[in-house]
Amino acid sequence: MTNMNAGQRAAAWGRKLVLPVLLIAAWQFWASTLPTGSPAPAPLKVLQTLGDLLSTGSLLSATVQSLGRVVLGFAMASVLGIALGLMMGASQAVRENLDPIIESFRPIAPMAILPIAILWLGTGTPTALAIVAYASFFPVLINTVHGVSRVDRKLVLASRTMGISRWTILTRVVLPGALPSILLGTRLAMGVAWTAIIAAELAVGAKSGGGGSGGIGQMMFVFYAYNIDLNAIVVCMAVVGVVALLIDQLFRLVEKRLIPWKA
Amino acid sequence: MSDNTPSPKLRLSGVTKSFLAPRTGLSTLAVAEMSLDIQTGEFICIVGPSGCGKSTVLNMIAGLDVPTAGVIQKDGQAVTGPGADRGVMFQDYALMPWQTVEGNVGFGLRHGTPGQHLNKTQRNQRIAHFIDLVGLRGSEHKYPHQLSGGMRQRVALARLLANGPDILLLDEPLGALDAQTRLILQAELLRIWGETAPVTERKTAIFITHDIEEAVLLADRVVVMSTNPGRVREVVTIDLPRPRAGKARTHPRFGVLVEHIWSLIRDEAYRAIGGDESLAKPTEEATA
Amino acid sequence: MGMAMTTSAGSPVLRSYRTLWVSLRSFAVFFALWWLLHWWNGNPLQLPSPLKVFEALWGLLREGEIAEHASVSTLRMLLALSLSILVAVPLGFWMGLSRLAEEFIDPLVEMLRPISGIAWLPLALFIFGVGDTLPVFIMFYVGFFPILLNTVAGVRQTDARLLAAARTMGIGRWPLLVHVLVPSALPTVMVGIRLAFAASWAAIVAAELIGSPTGLGFAIEWYRQMLMTPKVFAFILAIGVVGYVCDLGLRSLQRRLTPWADGTGASS
Repeated sequence: MTNMNAGQRAAAWGRKLVLPVLLIAAWQFWASTLPTGSPAPAPLKVLQTLGDLLSTGSLLSATVQSLGRVVLGFAMASVLGIALGLMMGASQAVRENLDPIIESFRPIAPMAILPIAILWLGTGTPTALAIVAYASFFPVLINTVHGVSRVDRKLVLASRTMGISRWTILTRVVLPGALPSILLGTRLAMGVAWTAIIAAELAVGAKSGGGGSGGIGQMMFVFYAYNIDLNAIVVCMAVVGVVALLIDQLFRLVEKRLIPWKA
Repeated sequence: MSDNTPSPKLRLSGVTKSFLAPRTGLSTLAVAEMSLDIQTGEFICIVGPSGCGKSTVLNMIAGLDVPTAGVIQKDGQAVTGPGADRGVMFQDYALMPWQTVEGNVGFGLRHGTPGQHLNKTQRNQRIAHFIDLVGLRGSEHKYPHQLSGGMRQRVALARLLANGPDILLLDEPLGALDAQTRLILQAELLRIWGETAPVTERKTAIFITHDIEEAVLLADRVVVMSTNPGRVREVVTIDLPRPRAGKARTHPRFGVLVEHIWSLIRDEAYRAIGGDESLAKPTEEATA
Repeated sequence: MGMAMTTSAGSPVLRSYRTLWVSLRSFAVFFALWWLLHWWNGNPLQLPSPLKVFEALWGLLREGEIAEHASVSTLRMLLALSLSILVAVPLGFWMGLSRLAEEFIDPLVEMLRPISGIAWLPLALFIFGVGDTLPVFIMFYVGFFPILLNTVAGVRQTDARLLAAARTMGIGRWPLLVHVLVPSALPTVMVGIRLAFAASWAAIVAAELIGSPTGLGFAIEWYRQMLMTPKVFAFILAIGVVGYVCDLGLRSLQRRLTPWADGTGASS
């Protein structure tokens, strides 16, 4: 938009907002035609609920709790995923032998693991962590392997002819070369992790009768089944969306900083 | 040598093209006041250093771009847009990757204007004829990614001819090929163009190339362009006898013509590659 | 770093035998480790032995229960995917071709996209209740975005030269769309469909786990509550296998529809 004047830029923003604003207005209009006791969510009520939830701090604490789990689970999965990915990328033997197992688990969704996780770990944070870690693991692994495979083999060979040790080659040649793919993998993984934590908390909340697991997903379930408040649910949905966006933007920023040479 | 009484097949009058850079708002003059008459059945080559606007001119003749000033007329009518009467062969062939050889050659016939008056059988016959003509019989069902560069070029040529255009516009069609394939295809091109046929049966062709020897081999006239802005420096008439394939390169006039054209371009070519112009001066040859 | 210079046996037949052998070997090791873990763990409810799981799997297959749930889930998936395609592809073409349409619609898309399908579950449960519609809605939503985004991308990356070439053959506006734009965008659209499938198949488990009385997702939760762990494992296996088979199907469809692309969405 750099070559537009102020008027054109305003018009561009206008076009961006037309549809969402129109839809929200239509939504509000529809809601106002309903009888006053109706539980249906309405934009104005949603805003009001947002204010309530923020003032009691419950929204913030739930978000932080969910994020904490995501970060922890994601970190565990990334460490394992990158390490394993590097090994698999570097060694045909390792890759050959692990590939069948990994490819078999890939179509098994994180949520499918949930009942087992509940059996093993109960209905609290460990289960949620397990699901998040499982979900984050595959994007990181697969992209790391892909990244390593795209490293120019000639660079590796050239390094070996210079007498550089294998460990140094791994950290100084392979890792930087694979970094763009690895960072892409972590960004995807973080997105998946966020979705997974919400799903896990939702499901655990549903199975454990609304007790003790905390987090946004849990909060949503409570507002669905116990303190029925659809407006609060919408608030939670919006929070889920906003956090997802923020996470993605953050990771893109990190990507740019770490890989200034990429377009 | 050109007779002005029959009206030219193609006429460029004061054709100018300038480009406006979207970010900076600066305008670059790509082609300046180019005027040229091309007769029916002529083979014209356009040569010049990089950036002299050769492709821009071709695009304008094809109707894919519009002159900023001046007019291009074909058969006395102004050119307003692309059409099957001016067929183009692009530098990178522009073959549809999802079509086989047969599908590509027949693309214009089946979906565009060239084949409108034909029925299905006639179209298929025509397609088969041109596939045969370029020597690709047997490869009809291959996809472009399965073909070599030379084969792809022949598909593009077959497609061009199958559409039966009045004027052939060829933008460095042989540029991406290795030298030997190029030699073969130059001869093919002359044959297909109708070198051995009488002038009235030849198609009008405009051929862009970097290769001066190629230009002298193929053309009736060579339009030498200069750069910054692009304009016609000189039009060199190639008075070598036809048919040329196989014989022209050893004709005494061949080397003279090539050297003459090169002398027109040399300075600018050196400048284009950021070189030292003093190197452009011819060195003294030691004799005896 | 041995970017292994070892070459596998030359001919393709020999190589696929070798791959099979390696796979079998890996699985054997995997099951052996599983069994060891089971033996060490000592609690058959938590980690049943592989043998028990296969026994349960066999039983379920024979009784047709797996087929029953699998077909329910698969049908829902197909329905949702078809709906996603029907809505997202035309919309994607429109947005790809018209900058104006994109300017208006894209902000809404980008606002909804971060809200994962799962986050819609409570609201959707309220609207649709437990049953068939819920999983289909969630899957439709989840599948919609990858297909839309990929369609727009597919249209945008159409080689302008191909369009120019077609115009020099006298091809008009509508034939240009149908005969050049659509085939050119198709490989990328197919990639989007495969992505949509993977995301939807993951979402269906969550949706059925919470909000459906039938289907594979429901089954794994049902048997967990009954503490019949071998059957839980069996159904999880079924989820994986059906997902894999469907993806194979999509890949073969991809090869049929876009034989010129190499399967990663890139055309020659």
